[in-house]
Amino acid sequence: MNRKGKINQRLRRALVTGVALCGVLLQGSAVLAQTLEVEIQIREHLFYPSEVRIPSKTKVKLIIRNLDATPEEFESYELNREKVIVGNSQGIVFIGPLEPGEYPFFGEFNPRTAQGKVIVE
Amino acid sequence: MISAVIIVLREVLEGVLMICMLMASASAMGHRLRWLPVALALGFVGAFSYAVFLEQISMAFEGLGQEIISASLLLAVAVLLIVHNFLAARHASLPEASAPALAVLGVCVAASAMSMSREGAEIYLYVYAFGVQAGEMASVLSGAAIGAGIGLSLGTFMYYGLRALPWRTCLWVSAGIATITGAGLVMQATYYLGQADILPGQAALWDSSSLVAESSLTGELLQAALGYEATPTAVQLSLYAASILAALGAMALARASVRTREISK
Repeated sequence: MNRKGKINQRLRRALVTGVALCGVLLQGSAVLAQTLEVEIQIREHLFYPSEVRIPSKTKVKLIIRNLDATPEEFESYELNREKVIVGNSQGIVFIGPLEPGEYPFFGEFNPRTAQGKVIVE
Repeated sequence: MISAVIIVLREVLEGVLMICMLMASASAMGHRLRWLPVALALGFVGAFSYAVFLEQISMAFEGLGQEIISASLLLAVAVLLIVHNFLAARHASLPEASAPALAVLGVCVAASAMSMSREGAEIYLYVYAFGVQAGEMASVLSGAAIGAGIGLSLGTFMYYGLRALPWRTCLWVSAGIATITGAGLVMQATYYLGQADILPGQAALWDSSSLVAESSLTGELLQAALGYEATPTAVQLSLYAASILAALGAMALARASVRTREISK
């Protein structure tokens, strides 16, 4: 086999292994439970409630309603979430399953006032 | 004003560094920078349209339009960076076998414009709502200018730093930067896919936030440069690794293709 053929074969083998690995990882983490929904409102650049309690190891659907006229960005380093919610609209953000602990979030456009945290119990 | 500085700097940093790397790389391949105004114009139009239609975009795909568009843009740029690596490695290995200008510049323009659209939209929304509508033009605009200025200075450093290298070294270093940047973009795409529940949530493999917090300055810089994640999951880590392997594979392929061409001569 020539050199090019060998390289191609090696690349193909690496690709197949990679895809198979991803498949296994995805399958292992499938969550079957029904999704819990939690609503958070943004009013006057503040989050209501500012503390959201959710159970551990559970997927949760956060529904974020922005009642202000200005846009806000829901952001969290700990949750790896980032979503712009324009004024007078709402957005969905899925989080979890998470380990117990505190996961702060903030509004990037008003970081000093708009702060909150997800408490996983 | 401080929040305007931070918001704008965070948004521009990643894009500016990538665009400056592409500028250096395209120049090293012998192309002039005439593609840049085209990319900037398309980027501005993209950012403006994204911002104006954000509400409709958000509502699309059952409320997950923003995530799907962001992830698609991120992954598209990551693929373009892999193509860039192929082109750069080919040119560095055998300049006579370099790809046509249209291919090189097309990649530069598309990657830059897509990156700007995503980041620029947020800046536009912020400046419009909290500057123009709130009548705080002076403080928001000066903050934004400082943030953009810091980002552009870092980009300028990068551009001239890369240009100071011999052209071949410049191409290999640029391709190295593109490899890491691309993997970082793939990492970000996994956040959006997780947020939309397209990619399943998983337990993190480790937590290095006590070492380097993502919210710290070092963390922010590492995130912009490497796609640093304090609590990566197995899926994220494998996609990150796959992206690096694909970028290196593209370079190996380019070198191999040039070598067979040389042998057959």
